[in-house]
Amino acid sequence: MVHKLATLVGALMVSAATPALACEPDYTGVTLSVGVQTGPFVASALKTASDNWSKKTCGKVNVVEFPFGELFPKYITALQSSTGDFDVMAFTPAWLPDMADFLSDMPANMQQGEYWADIHPAYKERLMIWNGKVKAAQMDGDMHTLQYRGDLFENPEEQKTFKAKYGYDLAPPKTWDQYYDIAAFFTRPDKGLFGTAEAYKRGGQQFWFFFSHAASYTNNPNVPGSMFFDPETMKAEINNPGWVKALEDYKKGLDFNPPGSLNNGSSEIRPLYSGGKVAMNIDWGDSGILGADKKESRIIGNVRASVLPASAKIWNIKKSAWDEFPEPVASPFLAFGGWQLGVPTSSAHMEAAWNYVQEVTSIETSGKAIVTAGTGVNPYRLSHMSNVENWLSIFSRPEAVSYLGAIKGSLDAKNVTFDLRLPGFFNYTEALEIELSKALAGQVEPQAALDAVAAEWDSLTEEFGKDKQLAAYRASMGLPPLK
Amino acid sequence: MRDERIKYLFVWPAFLIVLAVSIFPLIYALTVSFQSMRLTPPLPARFVGLENYLGLLASARFWGAIATTSIIVLISVAVQYCVGLALALSLHSNVPGERLYRPLFLFPMFMAPVAVALVARMIFSPTLGPLNEFATFLGFPNLPFLTQANWAIAVIAIVEIWQWTPLVTLLMLAGLQGLPREVFEAAAIENASPWQRFWSITFPMLLPLSVAVVFIRIIEGLKIIDTVFVLTGGGPGTSTETLTLFAYNEGFKKFNLGQASALSFLFLMVITLFGIVYLALARPLMEKRT
Repeated sequence: MVHKLATLVGALMVSAATPALACEPDYTGVTLSVGVQTGPFVASALKTASDNWSKKTCGKVNVVEFPFGELFPKYITALQSSTGDFDVMAFTPAWLPDMADFLSDMPANMQQGEYWADIHPAYKERLMIWNGKVKAAQMDGDMHTLQYRGDLFENPEEQKTFKAKYGYDLAPPKTWDQYYDIAAFFTRPDKGLFGTAEAYKRGGQQFWFFFSHAASYTNNPNVPGSMFFDPETMKAEINNPGWVKALEDYKKGLDFNPPGSLNNGSSEIRPLYSGGKVAMNIDWGDSGILGADKKESRIIGNVRASVLPASAKIWNIKKSAWDEFPEPVASPFLAFGGWQLGVPTSSAHMEAAWNYVQEVTSIETSGKAIVTAGTGVNPYRLSHMSNVENWLSIFSRPEAVSYLGAIKGSLDAKNVTFDLRLPGFFNYTEALEIELSKALAGQVEPQAALDAVAAEWDSLTEEFGKDKQLAAYRASMGLPPLK
Repeated sequence: MRDERIKYLFVWPAFLIVLAVSIFPLIYALTVSFQSMRLTPPLPARFVGLENYLGLLASARFWGAIATTSIIVLISVAVQYCVGLALALSLHSNVPGERLYRPLFLFPMFMAPVAVALVARMIFSPTLGPLNEFATFLGFPNLPFLTQANWAIAVIAIVEIWQWTPLVTLLMLAGLQGLPREVFEAAAIENASPWQRFWSITFPMLLPLSVAVVFIRIIEGLKIIDTVFVLTGGGPGTSTETLTLFAYNEGFKKFNLGQASALSFLFLMVITLFGIVYLALARPLMEKRT
């Protein structure tokens, strides 16, 4: 009898323990609301991770999608009114300054072990941080790289003709001057081929392309953090000679882009590259992925990428003069910076939410997301960049080595350039976009356009509070507070 | 007397609902227009009086948006009316195939403006669009349809005309079908020519409807945003930016709610002024014709 009773109690204990084993940690009854831009990009990665997380924890996830343009207003109104509408928010690093006060810190247990060590320092030491605290988890890595075509650059005939004309070997450009030489060389309208493709359309992410040029002439390693503003006075630097040179360069590129490129946004320049209409383009990693897509691409097997071109002279705002360097200083620009996940303090399920974030950004789940078509997730972990085999389902080996080399080379560059992150980000970029498109259309001269932007930026800084903006700018540039 | 009071009691719920859903937001927006209020960076709202209005009235961008909107609306509505009336007259005369044309003509207005703009963007695309490809094939230069201000405004007007002419056709056709037959029979007995019948009978009798149709189209046209947003984004610079797109950029890109509210009320004033002037000009014309 005692034996039977013991067996029964044991069976009851096992059955009671079974759900707990299935749900580890147990979030039964918890439904997380996750905000993100309309899919498939990024949203599909979150949905896949949601299924995994639900199986592990028995919690549920409701991925709520909004068009990109509506995402920030939804977030900021939800955060400011503490509605608790979202448990997890997917956002861009540029929004972090406006959102940081309403976001919880990443739990200490996520800031240790292999999970933490595997994240590239550019993200975990800079972009995930605001005012010294880890406020976000990176779920996507983004930067501008130069894409070029292997079939053209590795063609012996093209190499011979190029060397005869320009006196140096045809190779991925190390400097912007070389970039324009190569672009001019491959501009052959009669054959439907153009040198390069960049985005110039207002509202088509043009300002990030302009920043990619400007980084080479203005991100001076001798005066850290002086690219956009003077880090001591918060005076706008966007009209200094470095920026003017960058705008002149950027505008010059129109001569080597296909006709009508003033109306091309980033989504238009990708098919130009994968369709074989241009020899190069500047873009995020998406161009490379599209170039390897067997259904869409006409350059299969020929996707190549490199770090953005550089400059050996960089404007020094303290000396008001150009600093000359012995070699071009690579200043690859982390445009946009990738998608991040944050957990609002107003969330009713903060612990579960961070657990979900950990699942999305885990080495295993993210490792699958980066090689799954349509996720829009690009490498941001060291393991993403070192594991070439993982990429062979998309790329040929030479393509994978080149693609990953460009990403790692950019992130590892000593003078890697971070995007502008400042409260009121869109107010600054809107003012820039208007004047930029006027200058590109030839309505005003580059200097006049940038003078107007600088005046508007200074006015915005005054309106938003100069001291607060200066403190935020220094924090975003990784500089200590002013004494 | 008591019954008289009770009837007002029944009106109150409806009045309160109207107050809550329409009047209150309007009053709230009006108060916001006199404040400096931004969502990002989150700064405390402060009363600034007429500063938002004066700032806009002194801004070249505001007047540029008014000019751009007016040009697009005036050109597109004028063409919509002329073509719409001509099509309505053709359909009313029972041209061969009229039963087929009628649904076909109406097709564009059933499409969402965003979808129409996306199709137009592909057609007018400088690199991938068939129009420029065809022009280049014939030896013409590549035309800057969406990248040069005048061309871009013309393209926006063309898209508006394509989409909304059917509505004008539909309304004018309904008007034509409602005209009394006796007048036309009398004109036929008097051997009036088709032009005389149109100019002396049809057009004057349709004038009140025409005034209303043009008025509706002008008011709707002034609200244009989606087509411009998709085709040009307001560029190059701000040369194709309409008033509503300007308000959208202030409110939803810069989150400058004070300025966006002030802009909305200025927009309301522009429309009201436009309506008053239009009706004042149309009234003597209608009285003379009828």
